[in-house]
Amino acid sequence: MSCNPERVTAYVDGALDGAHCPELEAHLASCPDCRAQAEAERELRARLKALPPPTPGPELEARVRASLHPRRRKASWLLPLAAGLVALLLWARGATPFVAWELSRDHDHCFGKRRLPAEVWSSDPIHVAQWLAGHGTSVPAIPDAAGGLELVGARYCVLLDRRVAHLYYSNGERHLSLFLVPGPVRDLSREMRPRGNYVRLLRVGGTNVGIVSEEEDNVEAFKRSLSSTIAWDLAMVDRPAP
Amino acid sequence: MRPAGLSRDQRFEAEALPHLKALYGTAYRMTRNSHDAEDLVQETFLRAYRAFDGYTPGTNIRAWLHTILYRVRTDAFRRAGRSPQTVELDSDGPAVAAPQDALASGGEDLARALDGLPEVFRTAVVLRDVQDLTYEEIARVLGVPIGTVMSRIHRGRALMRAALGGRKP
Repeated sequence: MSCNPERVTAYVDGALDGAHCPELEAHLASCPDCRAQAEAERELRARLKALPPPTPGPELEARVRASLHPRRRKASWLLPLAAGLVALLLWARGATPFVAWELSRDHDHCFGKRRLPAEVWSSDPIHVAQWLAGHGTSVPAIPDAAGGLELVGARYCVLLDRRVAHLYYSNGERHLSLFLVPGPVRDLSREMRPRGNYVRLLRVGGTNVGIVSEEEDNVEAFKRSLSSTIAWDLAMVDRPAP
Repeated sequence: MRPAGLSRDQRFEAEALPHLKALYGTAYRMTRNSHDAEDLVQETFLRAYRAFDGYTPGTNIRAWLHTILYRVRTDAFRRAGRSPQTVELDSDGPAVAAPQDALASGGEDLARALDGLPEVFRTAVVLRDVQDLTYEEIARVLGVPIGTVMSRIHRGRALMRAALGGRKP
């Protein structure tokens, strides 16, 4: 057998198939060059195995783990997005159309029931105001009747994000709701017709007030009555004590 | 056989991630700088994670990871418009470490001689002598016949011996 250095390499690595091994071993016994190659390769292999391995930076494993879980990375932009949506919702809830729509829905909800769900039943505005004041709501001067509709009672209703005082006015067939709306309401001047009802939002003596009815006349009559009641109330307050 | 009760993520953590340092060792020898080596390892593990369902449990996962590592490396070369395979196997390749370096006797000269090899031989030598993969495994990693693996390892070692001992390869 003549010298075959590549086979010597394979022999050193134990990769030479069994049939060729005896032949190569016989050759090695008689060939000092090939023996020297085998010895040198074994030594080189041993030195390479003992070579200190390059070590990665301490953060590589964390980097690799982070790249395997893109969902965790998504949070970095999902969070600001969610915060933005919440901010938008908080801003939108104070917008008049949003509030008007909610009041209109609640008006339909309460008057749509077979029996009004009032928590206090009274046609006396003082009595109703006292009941509401007892629950933490300050009530501006309100009329006992307007446009033929009379105060019947009141309760608290829950909107999407706030609790409002809901006062019921009715003559049996026609209905009107007076809402005392805490929290922000912007752009009060507009007239709106969400869900087919007439809605006016006003600011009365530091309180946001919503008037809702199926008929525009009822709303206008109530608004006029509310203004004169307030004027009367203010006149009473302004009058010097006897 | 798959260990019962472990999720895919847990199996990947338990089986693949422990080889991170070994993969880095090969990547560093391939790229010869830590920055590229870390990028290579990160991309390798990302691809391995996605392809983990294709790994056959019980086989040599280090060899499987090296197959992906080598593919990531060659893909990067392809994108750059060159290839580590372009070195002629019959040529001596670029000059290896100068003879005076061979006078040093520590690991430094050895590492320098290894780094001085053309990548095509360097990779074969590292997979065999550092990572201890078999010729069959190396053939699968590099996508070449076993005869080519033998030839590259032989050539790589001969070049290293020449660089270390001043012998003609």
